Amino acid sequence: MALMQIHDPAAAPRPIGIDLGTTNSLVAYVPLIGGATCVLDCDGDALVPSVVHYSEEGKPLVGKGAQRLTEEHPEDTIVSVKRFMGRGADDPETRRLGPYRFATDQGPVVQFAVAGQRVVTPVEVSAEILRELKRTAEDELDEVGGAVITVPAYFDDAQRQATKDAARLAGLNVLRLLNEPTAAALAYGLDSQQNGLFVVYDLGGGTFDVTILVLDNGVFQVRSTGGDSQLGGDDMDRALAERLLSEMQLPDPRHASPAQVRAALNAARRIKHALTEQSLVEAEIEVPGGVTVQVRVSREELDALIKPLIERTGAVCRRALRDAEARPEDLTGVILVGGATRVPAVRSYVGQLFGQPPLTSIDPDQVVALGAAIHADLLAGEGDRPDVLLLDVLPLSLGVEAMGGVAEKILPRNTPIPASAAQVFTTYADNQTGFDLHVLQGERELAADCRSLARFTLKGIPPLPAGMARLEVRFDVDADGLLKVSARELTTGIAQQIEVKPSYGLRDEDIERMLMDAYDHAESDVATRALQEERTEAERICSATEKALQLDVALLEPGEGDAIRAALAAVREATRSASSSAIHARIEDLDRISKPFAGRRMDRSIAQALSGRGLAELERETAHARGIEPHLGNAKD
Amino acid sequence: MDPFATLGLPRRYAVDKSALDRRYRELQQTLHPDKHAGAPASQRALTLRKAIEVNEAYRVLRDDQKRAEALLATLGGQVTDHSADPELLMEMMELREALSEARAERDTAKVAKLAAQVGEQAANARQELAGVFDELQGQSDNEANALQRAAAILGRLRYYRRFQDEVALFEDEALV
Repeated sequence: MALMQIHDPAAAPRPIGIDLGTTNSLVAYVPLIGGATCVLDCDGDALVPSVVHYSEEGKPLVGKGAQRLTEEHPEDTIVSVKRFMGRGADDPETRRLGPYRFATDQGPVVQFAVAGQRVVTPVEVSAEILRELKRTAEDELDEVGGAVITVPAYFDDAQRQATKDAARLAGLNVLRLLNEPTAAALAYGLDSQQNGLFVVYDLGGGTFDVTILVLDNGVFQVRSTGGDSQLGGDDMDRALAERLLSEMQLPDPRHASPAQVRAALNAARRIKHALTEQSLVEAEIEVPGGVTVQVRVSREELDALIKPLIERTGAVCRRALRDAEARPEDLTGVILVGGATRVPAVRSYVGQLFGQPPLTSIDPDQVVALGAAIHADLLAGEGDRPDVLLLDVLPLSLGVEAMGGVAEKILPRNTPIPASAAQVFTTYADNQTGFDLHVLQGERELAADCRSLARFTLKGIPPLPAGMARLEVRFDVDADGLLKVSARELTTGIAQQIEVKPSYGLRDEDIERMLMDAYDHAESDVATRALQEERTEAERICSATEKALQLDVALLEPGEGDAIRAALAAVREATRSASSSAIHARIEDLDRISKPFAGRRMDRSIAQALSGRGLAELERETAHARGIEPHLGNAKD
Repeated sequence: MDPFATLGLPRRYAVDKSALDRRYRELQQTLHPDKHAGAPASQRALTLRKAIEVNEAYRVLRDDQKRAEALLATLGGQVTDHSADPELLMEMMELREALSEARAERDTAKVAKLAAQVGEQAANARQELAGVFDELQGQSDNEANALQRAAAILGRLRYYRRFQDEVALFEDEALV
């Protein structure tokens, strides 16, 4: 049945899910009728290569078009930019086999020097990919609402923050950063309606994640997560490319040109793909600036080259199992995600590791984007939604550098998020008014071996004898897995000024400047978007409040219902104006007036859950009681 | 914060983990930020604070060591790192020395043997601890003494835990 699409100018913007991958990216959404679906390009492809080409002038080119230019313009065409997100220029990861020209050898942020004398950061390159995905989605949906963007579960805070910055730069309203394995589990779980303990093995282009989670009637609770954000299909290509370079009859393979490196990497990828079906591949490589060579690679040879890489994933999986207090035989199913899990050697290794054949019923390339779309729909869609809840964890321990360069953990890995923790520090000198703090992420014992997230300077501490001032430093991790740090002096209660120097990220000012620099963000555009967002927000709050009023009349105090309804009407009235600040002010009024009612509703829900008789349970019991009623005669509820 | 009260579970050392998990999920069904995505700012803040408190309580109760320490705190006791007796310190020093030797030699069998030995000691300590908690929660003749004994056992368990963490670290390295 073909449904005619009716254009409704007042239709709500549709939330989208984006899988921003190392090799390919996808965008998906949940239509009004039917399950989640990926947006396809004019060729019917869902995958958009995560490749951005910069030319001398004009807009950057993203996707297939850019992919075709990788060998001709290796330095101006950025491939696998995700590997550089949130990383320093001096990071070993940045220094690996690749054709790029870096603008600086040191400094906090990686910068690519590209055509047109431009210097771009990985955040800006990723923003180009996101803009392209947004455009593709707009072709199909007219208007795009908020977005859920997936990140590898093992991404640290700097990498997550960089991803969120890229989305802001692309003009997207980020509803949530969602871990890729959790997204995949959501798509699988809703599909299969099965309960139990699952493991998600996610080997993408540049990252590896493993997540162990419990599925219990719509609740997806992550038990543990682990991974390696520098391990993926790219590394297989690189291992093979190194061999191919040695066969390309170059005078010195160690000093291959950028074009030759790119040609070897591209050939390696093609050969790897072909070896999924065939056991022997013969290929021709046109060496840029050289001859054409014939190469032969057998599957056994590829397997031997990538064996050490696959074994690294095994160690990570065993640790995740231990953290989850689970054994392979406890697992109900193994879910495979990521293009690199198509490699036969990976499949058989995973099967052996977990003692059962993995599930592959959903396309491993699409499953993450589909899960993200489902989550976006849960967060911002309209009407009744399935009763689903995702409970995730912090992937890597958070801490500070203590005396002697030791890393002191404040929140350990696998802590359920949102989470918060505080630690008290004291001054070590008389009249000390400042305090330096180094925030770390990672599992290693020494601060130097962990990831440096930020350095803070706390200022304005009242002058007191050494050891008298007591500084409480608070770590707050939100549901996106993003960290905020705050501090106050306990004896005076004064909140401290915090000066943040993100070790590898961008500061808010940088983002603002980039936003203003972007050609498609003229000031009027920004204002129009702010108004649209405020209206959407107002509509969501109004309908949530109306629903609450209907459901919980009994919790209202005399006169309270009328006051809330009056505030509601004022919000609705304001949405007809063209002033986002007026709408905002009325929303704040409604918030204030309905707060006591909201508090009572929360307390009631908690009391219900604590009595061990959640609503669902009560309903089940009632149904059961009705079933046995006839036999008991006059039994009462 | 009393994690037992937050999750509405009896203040006991023994815990039914599946009941704990169920209770946790029920509470997050109403508190998790995803369930309040459409709510005004101050209401989101209100439920977020509570969601964080529930997460923290759940993390404490699911961990044997942290749960025991929290229970001791509600009974008026406290574990300190200074409460270890010299004999234990000596014993642990010897064990850790043996462990670092085995680690350096990559002697997996020896590490496993040491881990088993400490694991058994920890299991015995936990059993002993359960007895002291029973005593504390029943009619204890000498409460102060029982609190001290519980604190001493928990201090010992901390050492065992640290040892086991080190073993886990070795296993991670050995697997790579």
